[in-house]
Amino acid sequence: MERDLEQLNSALNSVKILRSNVRRVFESVSNGLRADHGDDGKESKYILELQELLTTVNNNLRDVENSMSNLTPPPGPFSLGNTTYLSQETTQERQALYGQLVNTYKWTDKIREYSALAGNILAANSFNKTYKTFSTTKRRKTQTSNHNVPPEVIENLITSIDRLFPDVTITTNSPFVPNPVIQGRVLKAIIAFKGLMIEWVVVKAHAESNDLWTESRYKVFRKVTENCHAAMCHFYSPMMPELAVRSFLHWFHSYNTLFSAPCKRCANHLHNNLPPTWRDLRNLEPYHEECK
Amino acid sequence: MGVTILTQFPTENRTGPQTIDVLSKRIMALGAVQQGQFLVDCETYTSVPQLGPQRTVHVLHNSEQPATVFSLLETGSKTIPLATDGLFDLLMMKMSSFYTSKKQTKAESKGPRYEIGDFCVKLGTVTVSSNFKGILVEVEYKPCVVPAMCWDLLKEFLQGFLGLSGPTNPPTYLQNRMQEIYSPIDTIHQYLEHFTLFRKSPGIGMRP
Repeated sequence: MERDLEQLNSALNSVKILRSNVRRVFESVSNGLRADHGDDGKESKYILELQELLTTVNNNLRDVENSMSNLTPPPGPFSLGNTTYLSQETTQERQALYGQLVNTYKWTDKIREYSALAGNILAANSFNKTYKTFSTTKRRKTQTSNHNVPPEVIENLITSIDRLFPDVTITTNSPFVPNPVIQGRVLKAIIAFKGLMIEWVVVKAHAESNDLWTESRYKVFRKVTENCHAAMCHFYSPMMPELAVRSFLHWFHSYNTLFSAPCKRCANHLHNNLPPTWRDLRNLEPYHEECK
Repeated sequence: MGVTILTQFPTENRTGPQTIDVLSKRIMALGAVQQGQFLVDCETYTSVPQLGPQRTVHVLHNSEQPATVFSLLETGSKTIPLATDGLFDLLMMKMSSFYTSKKQTKAESKGPRYEIGDFCVKLGTVTVSSNFKGILVEVEYKPCVVPAMCWDLLKEFLQGFLGLSGPTNPPTYLQNRMQEIYSPIDTIHQYLEHFTLFRKSPGIGMRP
């Protein structure tokens, strides 16, 4: 590389010298006979001078040819497919585009090279802080997309969960958007799924409509809806969406004692005229909003 | 429509308006807001002897379901409930030759209606043919529809508000129906139970 640059420099230098000497030839040709050639034999003097100059040019030319032969030819034009046409752009502000494009390409190429190197080095010295290890089968599962799953998969999941809880019925009533409705004797919940993940939950009274967009008219169900949103975020796990849905619904099932279970802490049913609307996320114990 | 518990509140040595005043002060102190008035009335018709064994029809109106007329037909062996629209009143007038009403049995309970959280509290002054008989307190917990689930909760609310006079057991009518879905006709049954007791009692009603 270093040697190449030196040779290129010397080649350029010799070209420069050649050009300046050629220039001198033309100067003297254009000027013709001058005063400093004297009076006698001025023509032969002039011819001598010209001859001298031409010899230098000749020498220089040989130098250029020598240094040229030393140079390694470049590996052909740098082509980026059709984008090469950008270099033929006529409008002024776009002329620079191709140059920038080539630079960017080179830059990303370098990044790839360096990151591959860094990756190799880091893989050799692992510094995991967690004990969590995923087995290969689980890791393969994460490769599948959770956002775009066929509706049958969701329906199968819902029917399998429905079988888990015999005291509630879970129905999917819309053919295109599977928003299952969970209906028990205590309350009713409408859940919107996005792929396999829970997107929205609304809890309503037994007799209220199945509309996803209006909240319940009762304070207690509005509070439960709020808590469901918190739990929905708590159980959210894009790695294992089925497990997330299952654990959410398992937690949600604890609301079948919404009106009948007293608060675990204050042992009362009512606080602020509301029953215990919070269920612990781990042990599913009922608590008032203020007691948890 | 949620589970409703109807209970009698003893007047002790106060007058009716005084008792209502005491109760409304208590409920306001708990944070309730008054939402108008309510009225439940009951008129009883008996069949004329020509129709065979005597049957009784109780016709009730509840301001909570203003477009509905509830009627309960007692045949002696069983009670048949019926919920109809307002035209039923006119039908009863047409049938006045078969079913006659005794004007002095017209019972009603009316008074202020309060809302507190998801609860609805009604403090009713009961009159039978415009004689004061007692106080009926109605508490409805609107989100819940199964009496067995919210009975403890309602009991706690009633005791917090009525003190020791609050009920300790569910109303007799509800005791066999604790697991069923509650409907407005169940409230009507409870009112009729109390009205029948008030009609039988002389003077000021006592706690049953």
